[in-house]
Formats: sequence, structure tokens, C-alpha cells
Amino acid sequence: MKDHTGAAPKPLNKAAKAEDPVYAEPILGNPVSTLMESGVGNCFPGLEFDLRQLDVRFFPGLVFEFPGVTPAGPDGRQGARLVYADPAGDPIIADHFTADGPEWITALKRQFAGPEGSALGDGTWYLHFVEQGGKRIMLYDYALYQNTAALTPYEGETVWWIIRLIEAEKPLTIGLTQRAADGSPTGVPVVLTGRRRQFLTGEGMIDPVYHPGELTSSMCSPWTHDFRDCACHYWASNHPDVVLGEVDDPQQMLANRTDKNDSAQAVTFIDWMRRRHEPLKDVSALTTLPRARPDRYDPYEINLHWEQLDFVLQGQEVEATPVVPLMQKPTKYKTLEEMVAELSEQLAGMELTLALEYLYAYFSLREPEDVTAEQEKAWPGLREDLRAARQLILSVALSEMTHLRWVNQVLWLVHKAYPDRLGAYKPCLDAAKTLTIPKDKVSGRSCTDAYDFIEPGLEDAIKAAEAHRNNSDEVVRARSLRRARQCVLAEFVEVERPDGILDTEYVNLVGLLRDSKEPYPEGLFQLAVRIDSDGMQHYQKFRDVKRFLEPYAKQEALYLRPISVGDPDDARVKPAVDKIRLALAALGEAYQIEAELGDMPTANARIMEAREAMHDLNTIALELARQDIGVPFFAAFP
Amino acid sequence: MTVVDAVPDLRPSAMGHVAGDVLLMAESAAVFGLSEEDARHMRDALQAGDAAARQELGRLGLDAPVPVPPPSVRVHPVRALALTVSQTCNLACGYCYAAGGSFGGAETRMGWDVARRAIDRLIAGTIPGGGVKIAFMGGEPMVARDLIRRSVAYANERGAARAVQVGYSLTTNGTLITAEDADFFARHRFAVTVSLDGGREVNDRLRPDKAGKGSFDRVARRMAPLLERHDRIQLGARVTVTPVNLDIRRVVEDIGALGFHTVGVAPMIASPTGQGALAGPQFAQLLDAMTDCGDAWFEAVATGGHHPFANLATVLGELHRGQPRNHGCGAARDYLAVDAEGDYSACHRFVKDPLGAMGTRDSGPDDARRAAFLDDRTVERQTPCQSCWARRLCGGGCHQEVLHAGRPACDFVRGWLDYGLRRYSRMMALRPDWFDDMA
Repeated sequence: MKDHTGAAPKPLNKAAKAEDPVYAEPILGNPVSTLMESGVGNCFPGLEFDLRQLDVRFFPGLVFEFPGVTPAGPDGRQGARLVYADPAGDPIIADHFTADGPEWITALKRQFAGPEGSALGDGTWYLHFVEQGGKRIMLYDYALYQNTAALTPYEGETVWWIIRLIEAEKPLTIGLTQRAADGSPTGVPVVLTGRRRQFLTGEGMIDPVYHPGELTSSMCSPWTHDFRDCACHYWASNHPDVVLGEVDDPQQMLANRTDKNDSAQAVTFIDWMRRRHEPLKDVSALTTLPRARPDRYDPYEINLHWEQLDFVLQGQEVEATPVVPLMQKPTKYKTLEEMVAELSEQLAGMELTLALEYLYAYFSLREPEDVTAEQEKAWPGLREDLRAARQLILSVALSEMTHLRWVNQVLWLVHKAYPDRLGAYKPCLDAAKTLTIPKDKVSGRSCTDAYDFIEPGLEDAIKAAEAHRNNSDEVVRARSLRRARQCVLAEFVEVERPDGILDTEYVNLVGLLRDSKEPYPEGLFQLAVRIDSDGMQHYQKFRDVKRFLEPYAKQEALYLRPISVGDPDDARVKPAVDKIRLALAALGEAYQIEAELGDMPTANARIMEAREAMHDLNTIALELARQDIGVPFFAAFP
Repeated sequence: MTVVDAVPDLRPSAMGHVAGDVLLMAESAAVFGLSEEDARHMRDALQAGDAAARQELGRLGLDAPVPVPPPSVRVHPVRALALTVSQTCNLACGYCYAAGGSFGGAETRMGWDVARRAIDRLIAGTIPGGGVKIAFMGGEPMVARDLIRRSVAYANERGAARAVQVGYSLTTNGTLITAEDADFFARHRFAVTVSLDGGREVNDRLRPDKAGKGSFDRVARRMAPLLERHDRIQLGARVTVTPVNLDIRRVVEDIGALGFHTVGVAPMIASPTGQGALAGPQFAQLLDAMTDCGDAWFEAVATGGHHPFANLATVLGELHRGQPRNHGCGAARDYLAVDAEGDYSACHRFVKDPLGAMGTRDSGPDDARRAAFLDDRTVERQTPCQSCWARRLCGGGCHQEVLHAGRPACDFVRGWLDYGLRRYSRMMALRPDWFDDMA
């Protein structure tokens, strides 16, 4: 055939260019493969860290490495080589708190302090044998050659396999020797008796003996590098495709914190991998690779810019460095006494009141199983929304209970440190009668039945609280059990807002502890920081709950039970109130004991009792809710 | 300005089509630029038959189209709904598909109950976070102004409750629009399409009112408030082309002079009265008129100017996207119309037409019928579409026209697409940036 081709056909339109889609089907937020349990590490254990690195410290006080056979053949250095002996750097041995720990540790310390220890300080040592349960494994290939026994050391991986078989709970004896040039043992072995290390602590944490980075030191960095360019897609499959930008908090966007309700903004998908130079920040994700590529990081660049790639929660980016208004200088507490008074008289009670208000709201939500097939058909997702909302509210309520404990802990720590100034600690387990709430979003103003129920006799408490208040942006309201209506949730969001009422209290606490020259008890500052940062999640969670339930706002029966607060004297209701009383009494006792560093087993038993009572309360309250009765939580307080 | 070359060869081929120096692949809608020589050889091969074409495509390194079986039809959730709010009209255009607005029946207006139920169904069928469009049609929809306002308020409220965004459009003859209406459209970001058939003389002949009086002046006056709010109202004009207004360039430019940014034209192919439809040799005239107007558009746009003619812009956009179609439009697939009595049809043109009936007021959209309709109408099942190179661009044409008038205009469609392909190639060379915004 005559060749008349001038040039190859030039693709003109998109169909001819057949651009590769960036994602076959972009998934909002983290695809399922980004979940921990479906992560690559779960399929290929060892990709996050090198398991062998655990075993380099299998014997307390010693650090080994496992050299293999080099390409040049055995050189006598293969096996388990002692890198160094460092009993003083091993918490098991060095930690003075375990001085009267298990006997085997005391014995091991004695060995390290004796001739065995000093021998290991000199020369190069190799693992010679391991022995457990009467079985000794010599770490050599044994060959008879011309009537001479030749010992060739196992190579590193084989030794490691053997070490993997050692059980942690049984006594373990190991021998170490030095070696001749051909690898055969020389000199007198050093024999040590102890136990294999438990790699995880009782809390399931990796033993603190491992330094940061030690377990991954032999690896490339799978969490920061995208291996797409290595034709290995595993990391690439693990990051979010498209996300919603950080614009979904309209209440924060506008100065007056009103909702700008821009629903178009919320459905603009942006590329998670986009280059973070402004104005591109919020453009919607392009659909094909050639178009998207100029504006997104190439895989290899992830290593350079990983700090700009945001965390993604529920499809939405959460910037690692959010722009927040400057924090007010925490100058509120000038003295320790002032702080203690505020904590014991205000904060503890607020936490408890909020925990109970949240619980009431929780029980006011329908159970997912109550959603009829017909409702599910008309409102696909209702069931899941309820499930999520219930879970989130409950988690915040539980977390408030934890805060209550932490506040008490802060109090008993400072009381113990300054008994002369502060006197004896008393558990603070009374629910605050009033709450101080930001003014502009007070639900009582717009929600007709916001106050489903007002306890009698709180008027004086409100007046007293109003008198103390020195901020005109806030109002004081009586504690109140209310169903999880939108306006109620809006108020919860406001209460938990960073730089809101609660947060400010803790910021003040953190500020006092940080800025003071006073040597406050160890751990106090960390505790305060922990409460403060934990509260951030409450805000996010309530905001999510409010958003989940918003579509049903006009038909509350879809998501709310018609519950009203029960009569504490009602025979059905009384058991619930009794359980609350029981829980509080047990907690009070436990805190008192803990504060005095008294009989811990008893304190633990009391805590267990309180927990048990709360579990019972949960069962009873759920049953009451099904009969449209709400628990009168505050009836438990005198 | 170079005149685009030679006489187009519009004979059907299942493989593809060469227009000037570009090759359209029939199945994938891909467009390639060829050298002059390759283009000539390809054209010859296409004329010689499929086997030769296949061989020539192979030589160019392109895969010959493989006939694909019709796809399994998926009925989508309804995303756009036409509410025929008024089956009555204050004009009496002779060619109207709605036969004076009443669709051949008694004049009726939609009741609130019907509108409410249709809106409820539309929004309930959309997942939260999604969006829908409601198109107000007629007849003349502005006859039912109150119903439109009530429907918008209601749809906004229902949409907000379910986190569904609702967009609105309206097709009107423009004679009844007031300043308040324009405010209302602007507030709710309406897309408003005004039907006009030309300048005063032409329009008044084609679009008289029921007393026989012309409507142009009235419309022109009524347009001012809409045009003032062009930043918030998406405003366009639509021309129905009949034998009387075949001077498309003049028609489009006259209407553009009124202030319309875009003016689209549609040939009248199936008219219920038989009146005004184009036939036979008139399609050749139509093609000439379209390309004449297209030249004007191209001349203006290629040099950075503006011209209101929407049809060529649309064709270039579609060619550039290159999305092969199975159907000519979204009717029955994700678009339905509701008539005054609440019954559903495949689109606004099928109202009261048993061929396009898609469900009743009481039982809602009939998904089985929709699926059957779409399966039946898919271009793969249409003869002679299988052997036409334009099948993936035209999708088999307008269902309503095909079912009532057959396909009298295929040569016109091919001629127009051939012209579009040539213009596409030129536009890509002169103004590649013009395509930048195409999603």
C-alpha cells in the first residue's frame, strides 16, 4: 500500500483524547479502605512497622540486631549480634517504681550488676543459645567433617524465627558468646536468666522502651509517600478522593454567627490532593487526570507537602492549623484559691448538669429500630441518622462524666499539694442549678417548648447567678431537661463552642497552671490540657448531630419521641432516680479514697458500683423512653 | 475568513464521517484532525464501504467502531419536572405543539392539589443533598402566575426540609410578564426562555393573539424588566422556524437587538395542525439559512466578539464534549412532565399524548413504562440510525417528532453536523480558549 500518511491523526475533542478519569468514581471523604481495619497494615502486617524491630529488644536490658548472610557468603557475623547492653536505659529494669517488682527482674538486675554485666561491656557478643521449658536451642548448624564438629551460626532471619517462638510468661535463659573469625564460639559464654519482654504494656500500648521511630527505622515511609509511581497502588487507594472544604461551618463564617445557609457551597467537591495555593483552594475537583494534574500534587510531592494535606472527617477537611480568633489571655484566675473556688462551685456542677441534659436529649431520640419501613422508604437514611445522632450525643454525655472526674481529680491534687491553704478536698458531685449560656443563640427564645420542664424553686438560683455574671453576652438559665429539638441542639453547639463558656473556663485553668511559677503537682497541667482539648470534640459532634437531624426538623415525630419528664414518685420512675443517687454516692466515696491515696481496691470497687448503677439506669431509662417517659434526672439531687 | 471547503458528502456510514479535515468516529463520537491527504483517503474509503473504511482506520492507527448492543436501560430518579401549570394560552400560534396551549383538549389550568402532589413526589424521590429542576410550561404558564408563586414557595420549603436544592425555569411567550414577575424570577434565579419568532413583521405573522393582533410590541415592552435583571435571570429566546421565518440570520439578529444574549432556533417538524411544519425542499433552505447564520456567529466569535446565535455554540460544545448518546434527550429518563390533571408524560411535548404517557396522578411516575419507552427509543434500535454516522451525536432525534412525523429531516441534521464539525476544527485552530470552560 502506498504510504500517504502526513501525520498521525490529531485528537481534537474530549472523546478522542479519552482522558483518564482522576477517579473512576470519586468517593467523598475517606474511602472505606482508609479505615484502620481495612488499611494496608491489616492485609500486609509489617508495612507500618518492622516486626523484627520488636525482637531486637526481646531480652530486657539488651539490644540485638539480626544480620543475614551477605552475598559474599557467611562471614561469621550472621545471627543475633548484641549491639549494646543497656540495662539502665530499659524501663523494666531502671524504673525505680518497679524496684520491688517481680522477683525475676530483681534477679536480672543482680546479674547485670555482677560479672555477667561487666563481661558484656567489652568486645562483640552473639546470641549463643536460648533455653525455655528445659529445651535449649543452639543457634548453629552442626556439621561433622572429618571427625571435627563444625558450628556455623544460623543467619539472622533463622535466629529471629527461633526468638519469635519464645514465650513471654515462662522463665528464659540465654547464652552469649564471642566468636572466632569463622563464626565458631570462643571463650566462656555469659548466661543470663530472665523473661522475654512483653511487647505491649497492660494497656495494650507498645512498650515505652522503644524509641520513636525505632520500629519503622528499617523501612521506607509508607504513611507519607504515595507509591502510585512505584506501580504499587496501596497508599494511593487509601487517601480521600474528593472532600468538602472547610466551609461547612457557616455559623463561623459570618460575624454575627448566623447561618448563611449556602447549600451550594456544601456540595462543591474539591480535590484533596490539590495544591494549596489560594484561589485554587476551593475550586471543584476536575474530573480527568490531565486537567486535574496541574493543580494537584504529584504523588512524589506528598513527601514534601504532607503537612498541607488535611485530615478528613466525615467527608470534610479539618485543617491542621485552623485560623481561630486570638485566644483571650487567660487572666481570669489570679490565685489558686480563686481557681479552686470556680472549679468546685461552678465547673464541676456544670459538667454534671450538662451530662444529664445531654442524656435526656439522648433518650428523647427514637431508636433506629422504631423507624417503620414506610418511613425509611420516604426518608432513606433516617435510620442511620438516628443511629449516628444517638451515638454522638451519648458519647458527649459520657465524656462530660469523664470531665467531671477530671475536674475532681484536679481539685484533689491541688488540695493535697496545698492542704494549709485549701483545706481538705470534698467531692464535687452536685449538679449546677443554673447554666450560663451565650446570649445570641439561647434556645429558650425561639423554641416554644424549649423548657419542657422547669424545676420549681430555681428562681432564686437564677437571680443569684445573674448577679455574679459580669459578661453581657451571656444569659443565665435554669437547668432544664429538653428533647433534642433543633433549637436545643443549637444551644448545645454554642455551649461547647471553642472559646465558649466551658472552653474558656478550661483555658483559664490551663493558663494558670502554665504561667504560674508555682510548682504544681506533676500531671496537673497535662490533665487540664486534656480536658480542654477533649471538649473540642463535643462541639464538632453536636454540630454534626444538628446537621444530621436538620432535614427532619419540620416533622419532629420522625426523630423525636413524645417524651415528657416523669414524676420521681411514680413507681416506674423511682428506680431510675435511685440508680442516679446510688451512682453519685459511690463516686463520692471513691473520689474521697483516691484523693487520700487510701484503699485503692475499695475505691475501684466503688467506681465499679457506680458504673453498674449507670448501666442499670441506661436500661431503665430506655424502657421508660419507650413509654414516653423521661427520667427526671435532677430529682436525684437534694 | 476562509470559506470551509468542498461539497459535503452526507451519505450515511456506520463507521464515521470526514468533514473537511476532521474525522468523526461514529460510535465513540471522538473527533480527530487529519492531514489533507489522510482526510481525502479516509473520505474515499468511507464511500467505498465499511471494509475499506475499516482498513483505512487501521492504517491511521484508529480502532474501527464495534457495534455495541443496546445498553440495559436504567431509569434515573426524576431530576427535572415540567409542570404544565396552564393548558391554555393567550396566543394562538398556528403550529403550536400544544395546539393553542390546550394540547387538543379543553382548556384547563392545574390545580394547587396537583402541583403540590407533583412537587412532593419530586422532592421525596430525591436524596437529601441532591438537586432538582422544576420547569413551568404551558400553554402560557404566566396565565397561572399565582400557582407558579405558590409552587415555588412550597418547593423551596419542602426542598429545604429535605436538603434538596430546587432550581426553576419557565418557558413563556413573554406577553404577560410584569416587573414584579421579573423580581420574583430574579429572586429565585429562574432561567426564562421567551418564545419569539423574529422581528416585528415576522413575529406578528407567526404569533398572533386570539384576536389576530400581533404580539411583538407587547413582548418587546415586556422584556425590559427581564433584561434589566439579566445578572440574576438566565434569559434566552427561542425561535420556532417555519417556512415563514426561514431567514434565520435576520430573525436571530433582530431578536438579539432586543437585548437577548442568546437566541436558539428549532425547526418545526411535527405540528398537530399540520400547519407551519417544514417539509421536503424547505430543509435544504433551512440548512442554508442555518449555516449562513452560523457563519455570522463564527465571524463574530472567532475574532473575540459576540453573536446571539445559540445553536452553533451548542453544537461546538457538544462536539467538544464528545459524549456519545443513546437518546436524543433526557425525556422519560430523568425528565418528566405533569399535565393539569396530574398525569405524567415523557416530556412537555407529550402532554395528553398516549404515546408518551408515563404514569397517572394517583400512582405517580410509572418506572416500568419509562424503562420500556427508553429501551424502545434507544438509538441502537432505530432504523436507519444504525447505519448513520451522526447517530451518537443526534441520539435518534426528538422522540415526539419521530413518533409523529418520522425522520424527515435527517439530511438536514447531517448537513448541520457536518457544518458543525468543520467549524469545530476551525474554532479549535483559531480560538482553542473558547472551549476552556466546557465542563
